[in-house]
Amino acid sequence: MPAVSLIDASRIITESCVQSGAEVFVGYPITPTNLVYSYSFERFPVALPAPDEITTLQWMSGFSSVGKFPVTATSFPGYALMLESINMAFMMELPMLIILSQRLGPSTGSATTGAQGDLLLLRSSISGGFPIPVFCPSSFEDAWFLTHKAIETSFKLRCPVVLLTSKEMVMTNKSFDTGELVPLKKLYWTAPDEMEKYQSYYTNGKMVPDFIPLGNNQHQVRINASTHDYTGLIRKTTPAAMQNTKRLYEKVIQQAKDFTFYEFQDSDKHDILLVSYDITAEAVRESFNLLHAKQKNVSYLIVKTLIPVANEISEIVSSFQKVFIIEENLTGLLAELYFGNNIPKNIFRINKIGEMINPQEIVEEILN
Amino acid sequence: MLNTQSLPYCPGCGHRIANQNLDKAILQRQIKSLDIIVVSDIGCCGLIDGVVDCHTIHGLHGRSCALAIGVALGLNDETKHVIAIQGDGGATIGLQHLLEAARRNVNMTLIVLNNLVYGMTGGQISGLSAERFKAERVPEEKDVPFFDLVKLSYSAGAAFSARVVGKGKYEEVINEAIATKGFSMVEIVGLCTPYGLTKMKELGELGYEEIILKNERNCFESKRIEKVSLFEKVSKIESQFQIHLEKPYKIVLAGSAGEGIQSAADILAKTAMRCGLNATKKGEYPITVGTGFSIGEIIWSENPILYSGIEKPDLVIITSQDGYAMMKGRYPEIECIMIDSSISNELVSPKIITGDYRRLAGGKGATMCAIADWLRKEKIVPIDALIKCVSTLKYKEEIMKAITLV
Ligand code: SF4
Repeated sequence: MPAVSLIDASRIITESCVQSGAEVFVGYPITPTNLVYSYSFERFPVALPAPDEITTLQWMSGFSSVGKFPVTATSFPGYALMLESINMAFMMELPMLIILSQRLGPSTGSATTGAQGDLLLLRSSISGGFPIPVFCPSSFEDAWFLTHKAIETSFKLRCPVVLLTSKEMVMTNKSFDTGELVPLKKLYWTAPDEMEKYQSYYTNGKMVPDFIPLGNNQHQVRINASTHDYTGLIRKTTPAAMQNTKRLYEKVIQQAKDFTFYEFQDSDKHDILLVSYDITAEAVRESFNLLHAKQKNVSYLIVKTLIPVANEISEIVSSFQKVFIIEENLTGLLAELYFGNNIPKNIFRINKIGEMINPQEIVEEILN
Repeated sequence: MLNTQSLPYCPGCGHRIANQNLDKAILQRQIKSLDIIVVSDIGCCGLIDGVVDCHTIHGLHGRSCALAIGVALGLNDETKHVIAIQGDGGATIGLQHLLEAARRNVNMTLIVLNNLVYGMTGGQISGLSAERFKAERVPEEKDVPFFDLVKLSYSAGAAFSARVVGKGKYEEVINEAIATKGFSMVEIVGLCTPYGLTKMKELGELGYEEIILKNERNCFESKRIEKVSLFEKVSKIESQFQIHLEKPYKIVLAGSAGEGIQSAADILAKTAMRCGLNATKKGEYPITVGTGFSIGEIIWSENPILYSGIEKPDLVIITSQDGYAMMKGRYPEIECIMIDSSISNELVSPKIITGDYRRLAGGKGATMCAIADWLRKEKIVPIDALIKCVSTLKYKEEIMKAITLV
């Protein structure tokens, strides 16, 4: 057996950020992301303690506008404060990574108790219903690979992205061989082809405009959080400005397939599908084994790109006769994301708050 | 810097004069357009974007100073001039950002255009509105003083803090602010003809003092420091002992915060790893890490551990009343309980072992003492694996003592 380390996913996520090319961490400490915060100060080339979460997002946006990829880590109370500034970064088309670690709410709730309660908040984070890509690791391997993919997507889409985790996901220690992790490619901005005139939001028929950093010596850059057209100047509702605003939606949706990740364990017979994400995926994988040991044929789907909801995910879910959506919250947020308030009769929810859903509970629900 | 003389403000607006003074100051300093980054705020002051030929970034209400801090630290380049512009409303909602820029002495300039009102929303008063101005409009507020931005900025550590009553020519003050290495803040009190003051002469009658305050300080830089991989900072554990576990073994340590429960859980996980097993370790504690309970959950397994929670522990070690209180009703079944003799136990288990762990090893050593007692009795893994694990620790003496007491 190779030499292994006792480590947590916070360490893996932080290392993955830096190896993927993130240069700056800005943060305000909050449970349960304290580990990411402290590791970031040990690892990032630049790490800054902001006095609050609004400041955090503003500083990050400043760094991002000059071409330095920023990362922060928070939980619901901090995310709530960041919200207006996340909208700003979305509108400005500034890439950045926000690691959101879920804990039990509402409000400050129980900071040291895990939960999966923030999904619909993320779905509605951007005013107007624009999707912000949300990635969600469910294992140490995911913590490594998906963090990289989140940053890659953020660069490609010029868009803030969220890495959604939860307390047990980022704080539990496991024996793990870090040598098994695939090497990552450092990501960075590539300068666009020489041009006579640069206009910050001119896309030249593409979905995402070229990026040139604010403060460069060649071209004037105009970045704007208000409604603007390709020039980067404030416009009200001119056709060009509306076209630019619609593009912010389309660039995410049209490319969703490229950054949709999931783990689908298909058992051929499309009877029963277990669906989950984040920490609850652990229990789903184990209950799958337990059910198969009892000759009960089930499949499972662990969703790793939660937002936007790609067609592939909907197709898998709709191909099963019975679907159990398993989440550590009271009402089933993933179920609501997929089906709204009108949950079809073949969709069942397994929910719990205050502690992790355990594999035995899932097995009992399936067998009953 | 200005690309037009046709500025988009109402006739008589103080912003127009401010833009012209800023333009003159930049011309005097002969700064190239692309060396200037204007960071603008929401409000009429944000209209500056469209009339300048430098870089512009237009953000949120009250946040231009914070955004400018990010830009300035990101550029970290003395040849670039980051100039944030906001109104008195923005300065009020974003006061924290001004203080932060000042205490760090970030290399940037903040210009606050104080026209005493929120112009865009219909002329409401702000935190910078003078008492005499408020007395006529909102008498209930007349005794509430305005924030003295200059004194706040200065006392927070800004290199340069100034106020001008913006009647006409004040480009020298802006020039000096821009030339300052570090944080410079200039508050310009001016007119807003539709909602605020309409006459120049009224500006001088409100008690705003023209003043310049300076601090001699170095500016804050965001230096880039390359650091080693986080994976190099964790110890790698070689498997040295061969053992066979029939099924996963699940252990819960229940004690008090500050009594080494999480360290003991760490040692137990690493002991298993020395025996070639997979291990997980989970901690649970209240928000106050120095008081109350502390629980460690450890799983050992030959196979990969998919789920790291524990519903039926094989062993629960309880070494304090805090830990005992948390165990009551927590598990329907426990294979074995080891409990300190100071605790009167009502928990049920086929096997209960009582020991004088606290008396022998004190609160801090009790859990490790109990773990050693259990390993010697049950021999699930060799005690030598535990000893080997402890021997690699930085502060091993106390723990080594605790595990040799029984
Ligand atoms: S409303 Fe007031 S601040 Fe705005 S442009 Fe007109 S005079 Fe200037």
